[in-house]
Amino acid sequence: MMAANIQQQRIINEQLRREAEIPRIRVSETCRIMMKYMADHANDDCLLNGFPSQNLNPFREKSSCSVL
Amino acid sequence: MSETQPTNVNDKMSSLMKEAECLKFKLEEERQKLNDVSLSSIAERLEQIAFVNIKPRKVLKGHQAKVLCTDWSPDKRHIISSSQDGRLIIWDAFTTNKEHAVTMPTTWIMACAYAPSGNYVACGGLDNKVTVYPITSDEEMAVKKRTVGTHTSYMSCCIYPNSDQQILTGSGDSTCALWDVESGQLLQSFHGHSGDVMAIDLAPNETGNTFVSGSCDRMAFIWDMRSGQVVQSFEGHQSDVNSVKFHPSGDAIATGSDDSSCRLFDMRADREVAVFSKESIIFGVNSVDFSVSGRLLFAGYNDYTVNLWDTLKSERICLLYGHENKVSCVQVSPDGTALSTGSWDYTIRVWA
Repeated sequence: MMAANIQQQRIINEQLRREAEIPRIRVSETCRIMMKYMADHANDDCLLNGFPSQNLNPFREKSSCSVL
Repeated sequence: MSETQPTNVNDKMSSLMKEAECLKFKLEEERQKLNDVSLSSIAERLEQIAFVNIKPRKVLKGHQAKVLCTDWSPDKRHIISSSQDGRLIIWDAFTTNKEHAVTMPTTWIMACAYAPSGNYVACGGLDNKVTVYPITSDEEMAVKKRTVGTHTSYMSCCIYPNSDQQILTGSGDSTCALWDVESGQLLQSFHGHSGDVMAIDLAPNETGNTFVSGSCDRMAFIWDMRSGQVVQSFEGHQSDVNSVKFHPSGDAIATGSDDSSCRLFDMRADREVAVFSKESIIFGVNSVDFSVSGRLLFAGYNDYTVNLWDTLKSERICLLYGHENKVSCVQVSPDGTALSTGSWDYTIRVWA
């Protein structure tokens, strides 16, 4: 039991050691990159900006006109 | 020998624990060094999102118990749902018609997922198994089902990484597992969480080798699928993490928790960069998803509402009312035109 706990703790420590070594970027920089991504993709975002025309919305209620 | 050994073992354990504490301290120090500004302060100069025109469009009725999970088809039109009633239903979300219904020999089907081809669905729950159904006629679906993998506790989530050939699952046994669909072979198992795994999501931009998991141990882990190792770990939540989702850029993850907050963790800064909470929100979050640009964060709550958050400003934009019980799942359609929400009120709603 104890040996298993030690083995478990070893794995956790290894993980922490790996995590400590990963490269990091400043928050200011990552946030700017994220904001640019959102701005670049805003035009494709129908939930954010709506549809250019409601006719393009496949989920809208069909207007109740009959076929002549 | 028998007298000295326990002491040695205890010494070893305590020195390992001490080292772990040091490593955690160092890790936090390193993260803090690069925490030069907050996301919301950078986003301050951006214009506020004044108005979002999202309306309730469809109500999908047919389940006889709580809806637990939904998934959009790659065709952006169909939705599969799984329920406490033991049924899977495939819906045409345009017309609200039920196209297929399959009854499983279990209740509480907690997870369902479309294969990338749209020709198969994977599902499971309290049966501890992940089962694959081909999408054909109802009779054939039941006959041609195949059990791919089995956990030692309930299966809470499943997802196809890359192809129809593999399925990634998360379980109440606190592990995740990668299965080969054809052979049912366990390709890789992912040990690290100390609580039930509640949610997984695949990184969008890479070659499909990274995924994130959220757990009742309050942590979110980033995993390397090939090595089976944790690459990054994020803590901050005060309770179970019920939902995890990659930002469409692939550089951040959002989490939803029983502590009634959502959080945004940036992977390159290796830290939390935003918290989405309000004093008036006291109910847990069951599910989160982003709009296609990543600017909007949708979150489904136990108070029957869906909240829309501005990812950048950490401000709530509006609420979506309609469900009459807990909102268990929210998902933006693959092309970003609609949001589906599933609830314990037995219905699925589509908003657009």
